[in-house]
Amino acid sequence: MKSKSYEIRLFWDLLCGMTEKELKSRYKHTVFGFLWILINPLLQMLVIGFIFRLFIKEPISNYFYYLFCGLLVWNFFSLTLSKTTPSIVYERSLIKKSRFPHSVIPLSIIFSNAINLVIALGLFSVPVVINGLFDIKNIPILLIALFLLLIFSIGISLFTSALNVRFRDVNFFVQAVLILWFYATPIVYSISVVPYNLMWLWRINPLTSIVQLFQFIFSGAPPPGWGMLLINLSISMLFLVLGIIVFKLESKNFDDWV
Amino acid sequence: MKTVKNRNSRSHADIAIKLSGVSKRYTIHHEKPTLVEHLIKGKTEEFWALKDINLTIKKGEKIGIIGPNGSGKTTLLKIISGITSPTSGTVITYGKVVSLIDLEAGFHPDLTGIDNIYLNGMLLGMNKKEIECKLDSIIAFADIGQFIDASLFIYSEGMKLRLGFSIAVHADPAVLILDEGLNTGDVKFQQKSNAKIQDYFEQGKTIVIASHWLEYIRKNCDRILTLENGCVL
Repeated sequence: MKSKSYEIRLFWDLLCGMTEKELKSRYKHTVFGFLWILINPLLQMLVIGFIFRLFIKEPISNYFYYLFCGLLVWNFFSLTLSKTTPSIVYERSLIKKSRFPHSVIPLSIIFSNAINLVIALGLFSVPVVINGLFDIKNIPILLIALFLLLIFSIGISLFTSALNVRFRDVNFFVQAVLILWFYATPIVYSISVVPYNLMWLWRINPLTSIVQLFQFIFSGAPPPGWGMLLINLSISMLFLVLGIIVFKLESKNFDDWV
Repeated sequence: MKTVKNRNSRSHADIAIKLSGVSKRYTIHHEKPTLVEHLIKGKTEEFWALKDINLTIKKGEKIGIIGPNGSGKTTLLKIISGITSPTSGTVITYGKVVSLIDLEAGFHPDLTGIDNIYLNGMLLGMNKKEIECKLDSIIAFADIGQFIDASLFIYSEGMKLRLGFSIAVHADPAVLILDEGLNTGDVKFQQKSNAKIQDYFEQGKTIVIASHWLEYIRKNCDRILTLENGCVL
């Protein structure tokens, strides 16, 4: 039917337009403009590289690379979640304007951050490739890792952004949880130091295997086990389904609450 | 049961909007409830803004809604334009509905006029290609001149209204939703926008207007709907 494909086209155009808006408005009125997309990760790399050389003596091989790719993934996730959760409330003027698929609001934030992440990973690959840590055969795994990261971010963002419209506590809760979450994800340490009786906590955290996959690709760390991967993946999927359902139910009445 | 549908215009020849048994309940939130409060209290104060509205608007019909403040006019317009959903009942609209209620809504102050035309146009249901085709005409009608590639925060109120109006009328709506007191900029532009709306009247578009101004509605509308306390009189 004509109207169905037209609607999909419109959704896509709107999503691209909103993503563009996110990126443009972020770097608008800055002297360096879009260069910030490059400068940010470069500065981060310098700072972490410096600190790493001076202070930290972790028994993980290629620790700088291990730490840095974990941090890039973490930065993407925490920035995304803390921006998407209050996004519907912030964009109330759009909600009041017309009828449109509300999910483009959190999704556009996720995609604009994803573009930043991909550029940062591209820059980061330069020293990784020079050091011979990158295996070209791992590119499919990299794509899978990115896909998993997106799926989980979309699921949880739809869930929190929809709930935050009625219960503004969700935003505070997310901020608090993010602080804990950082330490519950193997970014600065290796999963091997986690005591076995606490391992369930890492198993229910979908970021564990996602971060491990990135560390495997960029620093040659051991990849996540199949058990971990499958449990993580199931929980990601659970969040995605839950997020879509909650968002669908709540989005009908966004206008009543913002 | 509650459904909101937007169907292909071909499937129903002469109906533009069909509301059956539409009711809208608002929860009165004097303060935004917290999760804890919600769990403890359970029930909340309610207010029915619309009660069991049945309304069929034919294609090309001009319908005026009058009623005192708080009678549910705006809620009805919001439900017709799909901005909010009814608590119960069904709403079916055939064709694109565009409301001219909040013209400035959805503008981003940091983006340029052109960027905002794209974003706003897409929110109103135009795709990128359509906007590209109409871009010059939108800019010309809004009469923004050299400011069109400047950030929106330097625009005057009048310029923003003009731009909003221009985008909305270029969205080529099948159903146009108007609220009374459409004040768009200076005298010159008001004449222009009134002429444009008059155009719509003559083109046989479906129009829904909410107003206190009985004279205007009597003159322009085929049918008058009086709302009071959320009910059609």
